[in-house]
Amino acid sequence: MTTTVEKPRTGSVPSGAARTGPARARRRPRGDRTHLLFLLPAVALFTLCITLPAAVGIFYSFTDSIGFGEFDFVGLNNYQVLFSDPGILHAYGFTLGFSLCTVLVVNVVALALALGLTSAIRARTALRTIFVVPMVVSQIIIAYVFQFVFTNPLPALAQTLGIGPLEQSILVNPDLAWISIVLVTAWQAIPQAMLIYTAGLLTVPKDLYEASSIDGATPRRQLTTITLPLISGFVLINMIVGFKDFLGAYDIIVGLTDGGPGTATRSITMAIFSGFQNGDYAYQMANATIFFLITLTIALVQLRLTRGKARV
Amino acid sequence: MAQTSRETAVGRRAVLGALGAGALAGLTGCVGGIGSGTPQVTFLQSKPEAISYFGDLLDTFRAEHPGDLDLVHSTNVTTLSAGFARSNPPDLGCQNYNLEMARFQERGALSNLSDVAERANIAPAVQDLVDQYPTYPGRTSVIPYSMMGAAVLYNREIFAEHDLEVPTTYSEFLEVCDTLQEAGVTPLYSTLRDPWTIAQGLVDYSVGGSIDVADFFSRLRGLGPDAGPDAEVSFSRNFREPLEKMLTIASYSQPGAASRGYGDGNLAFATGEAAMYFQGPWALAEIEKTNPDAPVGVFPLPMTEDPADRRVRVNLDLALWIPEQASAPEPASELLEFLIRPEIADPYNKALNGFGVRADAPPTADPRLKDIQGYIDDARFYQGVSTAIPKTIPYENYFQAIVLGQNLESTLRTLDEDWARRARR
Repeated sequence: MTTTVEKPRTGSVPSGAARTGPARARRRPRGDRTHLLFLLPAVALFTLCITLPAAVGIFYSFTDSIGFGEFDFVGLNNYQVLFSDPGILHAYGFTLGFSLCTVLVVNVVALALALGLTSAIRARTALRTIFVVPMVVSQIIIAYVFQFVFTNPLPALAQTLGIGPLEQSILVNPDLAWISIVLVTAWQAIPQAMLIYTAGLLTVPKDLYEASSIDGATPRRQLTTITLPLISGFVLINMIVGFKDFLGAYDIIVGLTDGGPGTATRSITMAIFSGFQNGDYAYQMANATIFFLITLTIALVQLRLTRGKARV
Repeated sequence: MAQTSRETAVGRRAVLGALGAGALAGLTGCVGGIGSGTPQVTFLQSKPEAISYFGDLLDTFRAEHPGDLDLVHSTNVTTLSAGFARSNPPDLGCQNYNLEMARFQERGALSNLSDVAERANIAPAVQDLVDQYPTYPGRTSVIPYSMMGAAVLYNREIFAEHDLEVPTTYSEFLEVCDTLQEAGVTPLYSTLRDPWTIAQGLVDYSVGGSIDVADFFSRLRGLGPDAGPDAEVSFSRNFREPLEKMLTIASYSQPGAASRGYGDGNLAFATGEAAMYFQGPWALAEIEKTNPDAPVGVFPLPMTEDPADRRVRVNLDLALWIPEQASAPEPASELLEFLIRPEIADPYNKALNGFGVRADAPPTADPRLKDIQGYIDDARFYQGVSTAIPKTIPYENYFQAIVLGQNLESTLRTLDEDWARRARR
């Protein structure tokens, strides 16, 4: 019945006209003004609390202001110095590398967990709850707890087991400290990605698996040819949202290494924040502007990619 | 109906009247300072350990000014920059004076207190400390209040057990370390996980005992954008030798120092785990918590072969200032005058292990700090390197990297380049 009703509709009118027709008609219905009213508070708040301060910040990035008092315009000087500042460039290098690593670790582990927790196993709900716990604990608390773990029990354990390289806390090793940050950040971020994957896996129709298993597909084959293609939109969202979040890493690094040892794990946001706290406002506003442009680019890429794919 | 409407009208009028009266009261409060609307005066101080002490002082002050003062005691220094940026700074600041504070005065955000300074009778050598950082021409922006003297803390009992005297030269110091090490005692407890303890301890003591820190920074600032690793004054040139010696000293630290922090250090030193500890007098109170009878003594780190070169590290632990934008400058300056009275300031310094800043301030009463009173009296002191570099340069982390084994030469070069880059913009 339904097919017979639908067919003439799409068949009789060219699809393009069918789409633009209702859209044009919808352009000036009376409900529009009401919708705008609904938007107004959000737009006003966003403008007042985000757009205006951002504009002010960008304005100050062309000055030598320290956040208050007298200042002069210095043109693009802050930007010029910024791009030749090894400290800043190192912060960008570290943050990008750390974000890429973390996003990979988080997605692989989260997908594995989601696959496990959506399959027919015992105590599924209880396990799901347990795995979500890290998500609700404050990042700074997690960081301090892990700082203790990395500083005391782990080296002691390594000593009794005779694992030489790990006898000293990896937090004080400039070459390895970043690993601890990846691990702790991933531990905290996995639940959220896992929840999104779980939701994604539940959208895959069961009959596909049934049909494929009748055709003799192994579980592995089912994963690569059915599950993954069907949840690719979720993978994309998790990757991009995760990457964007990790670029803003702050709390966990402050709690674990405070940017150290030396400046090995100093992130972009730490540099920006130090500018306001320590009287280098204009310079770090220039840094923040660059950082904003980078995240904006990522957001645009995300919008473009997910426009088609995320509609699962 | 009519009655209810009249009632609401009256109600509205009454509300408006009350509002108007309130506004008037508020206005007179602002102008006169007497009446129901009292001006709010925010007093900001930066020492969490002195909250109850200052609380009592403020109560005394309130008692002298009954009813006309709404005094708020704040210790929230993290929003200080934001407060200035929002034109809402505290009315009276009583805060650690360092380069970070100096930037407020350099930009003219602090009011002129030269009339108070005349009456405050500040010792000239202490006033010099203020002027070692960039000031605002023609103004006295801060009034020193309390000074801290820091040097090597040592365990008198351990020294006595091994027949050791307080070393007066660098080579004597190394001998002391060797003797202790041979006897199986950890000479020095270091807390390398906390970069600030490295900067304020190892680095400040080593450099301050070797070169004239104030002169170095005044010449370095004088270079302006010409600063750099190869300039006539530079970190690479002037800090290399002191920091090489510092690395020698640091090598006497306990094993695993890299993962120990400030809290670990206080605990370990209090229980006699090591003979020496590079911390300021603020650690004394923490050490007392663990061991009230810890036999602690203090001596300046000798960095040369001439005992006369020994100096102690000082900092203006508290200095008073009133912002230009203060909303209640008059009560604030009354409170300032109250705080600098000798009968108020001297007991404060006695209670909080500080040194007085007036020319006629009494000596310290603390038996441990008596060891360095002579240096304070003779002005044989310096302000540390760690309070003279802008915090936007992560120098504490650089020093940490050096102690943890990163190349000294290249790290100092980075520091020089950061400094020059900052001077160029």
